[in-house]
Amino acid sequence: MRNKKMRNQPTNVTFSQGRDGKGRSSDSQQQQQHHMMEHRSGCMRGNQDKPEEALPKYITASLFAKARAAEVNAMLKAVTKTTSSSHVFGALPKHMRRRAMSHNTKRLPCRLREMAQRLLEKSHQAGKNVKKEQSKTKSRRARRRHGCLLLEFNRRQRKNKWLETHIWHAKRFHMLKKWGYCLGDKPTYKCYRASYRAMDSGCLLQDLSYYCCLELHGPEEQLLNALSRLTSKDAGPTFAAVSCLSGKKEGNVMLYKADQYPHQPLGPVSFLWRPCCSTSPDRQLWIWAHPSLKQDLLPELQAVCQCFEAITPAVVEVVPSQNLAKENPAPPATSDTTYKPQGTLKRKRKLASDIQKEYPAKKIVGDGTRSLTTPVSWRSCKTSVVISDLTMEIVRYRLIGPLSHSVLTEILVPATDCENDTKTTLSPFWWPEECKKEESMSLHRQQTEILQLLRGVYSTTELPAGCVLGLTVDDPRLFLSAKKGKAMPNLYQIQVGVNEEQRKNFILGGVPSACAQSALWEKSVRENVTNNKISEQDLNRMKRELLVPGSRLPTPAQGRVPILLVNRAGKQLGEERIGWGSGWDLLLPKGWGMAFWIPLVYCGVRVGGLQMSLKHSQYRCVPHFPHDYPDCPAGVRFQEQQEIELLEKFKRYPPSKRTNYIKYGCLAPFRCPWQQLVEEWEEKLKHVDMQNTTTISMKDATLLSGDGLNSASAFSVLRSRKVLRQLSVWCRPSSNTRRAPSSCCGVPPLSTEATISLQAQWKRCILWVRVRVLGKGQPALHAMLCMPTAKDLQQLRDDPQWCGPTELQHTDHLKDQLKKRGKKDQTALCCSNLKKQEECNFSESVEPSSGLKMGKNPDLVSVNQNTESGPSVILQDPLPDVKSHSNSTSVQGLWTEQLPNISSHCTRMTIGWVMQGDFSLATGTGEALGFISLLGFLQTLLIQSADQRGIVLLRNPTSLQYRFARLHIET
Amino acid sequence: MAEPRSQVSASQKSLGFSSSEGPATEMDPVEYTLRKRLPRKLPKRRNDVYINMKTDFKAQLARCQKLLDGGAGHREICIHGLGLAINRAINIALQLQAFSQGALQLAANTSTVELIDDLEPEDPDEAGEPLTRTRNNSAIHIKVFYPNA
Repeated sequence: MRNKKMRNQPTNVTFSQGRDGKGRSSDSQQQQQHHMMEHRSGCMRGNQDKPEEALPKYITASLFAKARAAEVNAMLKAVTKTTSSSHVFGALPKHMRRRAMSHNTKRLPCRLREMAQRLLEKSHQAGKNVKKEQSKTKSRRARRRHGCLLLEFNRRQRKNKWLETHIWHAKRFHMLKKWGYCLGDKPTYKCYRASYRAMDSGCLLQDLSYYCCLELHGPEEQLLNALSRLTSKDAGPTFAAVSCLSGKKEGNVMLYKADQYPHQPLGPVSFLWRPCCSTSPDRQLWIWAHPSLKQDLLPELQAVCQCFEAITPAVVEVVPSQNLAKENPAPPATSDTTYKPQGTLKRKRKLASDIQKEYPAKKIVGDGTRSLTTPVSWRSCKTSVVISDLTMEIVRYRLIGPLSHSVLTEILVPATDCENDTKTTLSPFWWPEECKKEESMSLHRQQTEILQLLRGVYSTTELPAGCVLGLTVDDPRLFLSAKKGKAMPNLYQIQVGVNEEQRKNFILGGVPSACAQSALWEKSVRENVTNNKISEQDLNRMKRELLVPGSRLPTPAQGRVPILLVNRAGKQLGEERIGWGSGWDLLLPKGWGMAFWIPLVYCGVRVGGLQMSLKHSQYRCVPHFPHDYPDCPAGVRFQEQQEIELLEKFKRYPPSKRTNYIKYGCLAPFRCPWQQLVEEWEEKLKHVDMQNTTTISMKDATLLSGDGLNSASAFSVLRSRKVLRQLSVWCRPSSNTRRAPSSCCGVPPLSTEATISLQAQWKRCILWVRVRVLGKGQPALHAMLCMPTAKDLQQLRDDPQWCGPTELQHTDHLKDQLKKRGKKDQTALCCSNLKKQEECNFSESVEPSSGLKMGKNPDLVSVNQNTESGPSVILQDPLPDVKSHSNSTSVQGLWTEQLPNISSHCTRMTIGWVMQGDFSLATGTGEALGFISLLGFLQTLLIQSADQRGIVLLRNPTSLQYRFARLHIET
Repeated sequence: MAEPRSQVSASQKSLGFSSSEGPATEMDPVEYTLRKRLPRKLPKRRNDVYINMKTDFKAQLARCQKLLDGGAGHREICIHGLGLAINRAINIALQLQAFSQGALQLAANTSTVELIDDLEPEDPDEAGEPLTRTRNNSAIHIKVFYPNA
């Protein structure tokens, strides 16, 4: 027993080293004791070198006990004090701890039970206290009551708006808070491939209601004049395109700041003109923009249309409107925000509970975060143009895939006519009124016929791109079957009823522009429909009263909804997968989102989130907003955000698991310094031009110098269709020229002269390209696109299976610096702070000049010896002076602020970066989309032989292996 | 004989190669961009094979062979080819017959498929409506079957 105690003697027991005889004697006694113990326990420790001469002859009992008492005390203290937290389990060795002990004290050893019990009670009490504050007034049942729940929901969407399908999504999706909305990113279940298949051969559904709709209302000429300043014909069809202007088609257009083309782009929008009405000369135009674009677009539109006079919305008092609701089943438009603080709600419940039941207006429909007085429309004092912000007023669903039209025909049933008796009386609902007009009814019949024709179509790709169909349909909840099923086109049954001639005309010409008319354009109708939606509760009651369960409900007077169907074109550019990813957009009045969503889901569609819309654009090879618009303000904001996120993620890894990007020669793994890249290539070419000025005519030289004046301009993305077509022809390999003569007539052949004129005109441009890896390899985000050397290409020609050159590993000079610095800090802690500061200042002052120097040095080398083997470049590359970088904020393995020359940092010259890269399920190889510098691209083309045009090298940021890839420019 | 449905069916995917004569000869290519729409798609049975020019010839041949031999054991398959792919469809059918040492028989039908081109004006504001034209292309439908013995 004693032995054991001694062995576990705590280290904090100290003995006084007394100089007096007593102390010494006790000391010696102790030593002797020690030796005895050690002998007994069979292990010799300590004091071995000391001679064992000091064996005492006697022991004084009192002194001995006193000395032991101190030890025992210390030991007891140490034993009672638990090592880790104050929790009881700290007393237990780790292997004896069990999770269940925390709530079942009987699993603990007896000696600890009491204390654990006490702690458990304490924690229970603490928990109760916290809960009590919340639930003092309300039980869970009360809290979950409809009204309270809605209030809670309204509170939660004050910061980030919810879409109408939010709750459906929140149960199934990973939600992201982006652009002021709560949006579903991807489902919690595994469905990546299945979603791709749905886009490829089935139907994928997305809620795009977060897109902002801006309405422009005014005379056509004024609108076109104003809007033409934002667009350019050079970049494709504008607002004035004939087919779009008639309202027959939806158009897509790239917007620039007023009169700034090709600089200062804003972003892409899609737009839809309302077909001309006979009643009013004014036109209506909807511009659909991404929410991150809206803040740039709205001021620009206001400036262009000179609409600065805000029309303050009429603030409707809440209580009167409710009274009104009681008198009149169809109240006029109350404002969409009816959020009220809890107090008023309570009072109201007491006052008028029946009204509450009848008029469930508490639910936010539309934009609930906007205050009532915020202006949503602006009028012009000079012209009669009115801009109104219809954000969240219209629900937009996107169906992607060849079967999307059959899904639509499944759930959409054209509105039935009203009974005769309602035709004579005045109805508060819009549809009975509409039924009285003969022309609108004939239009409705035409639209119904078109919907019938749609059933006879096998694939959505057959239809003309962008066509618009207006419809009035019955409430889809009325005939919602309980059974889920997959919607498939059934041609055999349907073709019997369809006139073949009509179908052909439909496929050829699309929907006639008259049929694109819809009551959805009318604000009054939209509000009428939104406010008079039959509640779920009423619907269920009607279902209960139905005689034959499961049959169709009779259509009530308010059960008709005006909608718009907009065809979205699939992949139109390039030669592969034409028509891939086409589909339909479904536009609904607000409030009806879930009523259409559930039937759509029951039709067997897959639902996708933000991730799938990114993939959709990737497979269509179009840039996705705002990811792939680095020259737009929204794109810049996105890139900054992305850099922060990626850096945060990088820092979350333990230091030993972080990629050392310096060693991989990757200068900016988390962002793409386009501006620097473009400027570097410009510098480089200037230098080359200086060398062989003989080839340049004087005119070109003056052109170059003339453009050099505004060299401070920012880079931009090349969007001129003419130039893109020319480049696209150039980068095709000539071996595949069976059809080349027909497609490239009018395009000058690739030559130095042709490129020089291009370079002069578009020298600060980057180019959207698609890159397909030839062999293995899966491109990642921000992978480098590099220029192959002549040697690489020769080797590839000799051995087509060759996987590509490799980059030599770079040295991490920063690491050494950090190490040295760390050592210095340790050794020279005594150094005064003053001296250190001085050193820092010195190095900072030195840095810029040295940066410039080495920025130019490898530059020259790489240009001149470009075609020779590269490693000589790399040897020159490492920075001599980076002392200032090794400050405390820098992360190991990353370049800090000052980047060296980007394009020639590695053995192969960098011409661009990948923006989206992934394994492509469509082609079965790695495929990437990215931007390259136009000048770098032209240089690449010039040194390549005709049969190897458009071959570039691709290297991931975390790899040293270059891969060959073919580059396509799709026009 | 092939079923009546397959006589009107159009092949798919061979589009990019099906039209060697572009409209570039008639239209000024600067003013219009030609966008070809996909041929009309029709539902496909398991024993329908649509021949295209992008997939490897051997792979397509093997696919047909597998349909005839394999666990599926179809007594007949239909091989469809459109435009440029007609040659290849015939080639595949003949190869199949040769490999079977006379056990297989062929029955060929030809048809005409209507294809649609969209012509988008380059300068949309001036040039008016985008045009849509139809043109015809030939197609072949070969039934490869074991005769009932």
